[in-house]
Amino acid sequence: MKGVRLVAGVCVAALAALPAAAHHSFGAEYDLAQPITLTGVLTKIEWTNPHTHIYLDVTDDQGKVVSWQLEGYPPVALHRIGWKRDVTMKVGDRLTVTGWRARDGGNWGHSREITLPSGDKMMFGPPAGTGDGGGAPAVDVR
Amino acid sequence: MTCAPLAAALVAGVFAAALAAQPPRTPDGKPDLTGVWQGGSTQPGPWAEANAGLGVGGTGRDPNAPVVASSNDRPAGREGAPYQDWAAQKVLEAFNRRGIDDPTGRCLPAGIPRSVMLGLFPQQFVQTPTQLVILYEYMSAFRVIPFGTSHPDDMLPSYMGNSVAHWDGDTLVVDIAGFNDKTWLAGTGTFHSDALHIVERYTRVSKDRIDYEVTMEDPNVLTKPWVLRSSLMLREGTRLQEYVCAENNLDLDRYEQLLRNGVDFTRN
Repeated sequence: MKGVRLVAGVCVAALAALPAAAHHSFGAEYDLAQPITLTGVLTKIEWTNPHTHIYLDVTDDQGKVVSWQLEGYPPVALHRIGWKRDVTMKVGDRLTVTGWRARDGGNWGHSREITLPSGDKMMFGPPAGTGDGGGAPAVDVR
Repeated sequence: MTCAPLAAALVAGVFAAALAAQPPRTPDGKPDLTGVWQGGSTQPGPWAEANAGLGVGGTGRDPNAPVVASSNDRPAGREGAPYQDWAAQKVLEAFNRRGIDDPTGRCLPAGIPRSVMLGLFPQQFVQTPTQLVILYEYMSAFRVIPFGTSHPDDMLPSYMGNSVAHWDGDTLVVDIAGFNDKTWLAGTGTFHSDALHIVERYTRVSKDRIDYEVTMEDPNVLTKPWVLRSSLMLREGTRLQEYVCAENNLDLDRYEQLLRNGVDFTRN
């Protein structure tokens, strides 16, 4: 039991310690208070740096098709967590994407997780808050 | 009666495991830092496994994500960075602008220690008897670190600085000078002057892990040396790939466009 507890403790510490890079400010462009879940048809993938973009045709409540642009990790980061270009998802696939909407309320956003046609879920973008400075400044200002 | 063989087997197993976990050494007896490493992590294992389910990056303010830090966050569990009062105000201003002035947002090299401590991109150490070469996938930066020499006297100011190293027992001590003033150290707005001097200590404490300690000195902006500790984890099977940040960088235009359209994203 002691051993089991120790292992559990180590795992929690490890999860809490994983750091990351940030190319740009999540909080400048995207709104944590506007989480989105979009289901639509993939029309284009830009495997570009510093961020990938996917384009999704989403049919709204009035039956109108709206094209959304959603940002994700750079291609190298996706490749390392198991994405295979032109294999894992293809233009024409019906996907569900979770993320956050742009602050200006436009049809663009920041993706977090993609549900593939198979039902498998894969991470496509970093958590909210990446790169905008987090919850507290680096300095203690009196 | 049956316990003794079992105990012996257990001891032998533990011993074998301990041997396997020993840090490897070069033929000249020095610890060998060669390998592909992930900064800031404490999780062992291959890349995809060590990062499974987390999504690399972010501050954890996504309720669906565990608490993870990005290189723009205040280093976890640390006292405030020891900036002089006027400089602390400047750091705070950058924080309130949500980091849109981040040099890496312009695809510039991340500098030290940020390049070492970030986790989204791997770094490869190639050690020879006379030098350590570190290749950073992030921004395609590199460092060539000769052993047992001093800095040249004609250093050009640079993003990654000029590094020289020596061994202190089993710890590689790297002295870095010759910086420009265009990078952030650790956290949003953590600027510095070209008087920055850094000492890093790399200790491969096991096959899987390097303990990393960095001491930053800059009398122009800091009140005392700023010390941070982190770790790098071996990522066997991971290979460095090309990352050309400037390929399709939309963010600067977006910041400007949002501000122009009256979307005030700054903290007040």
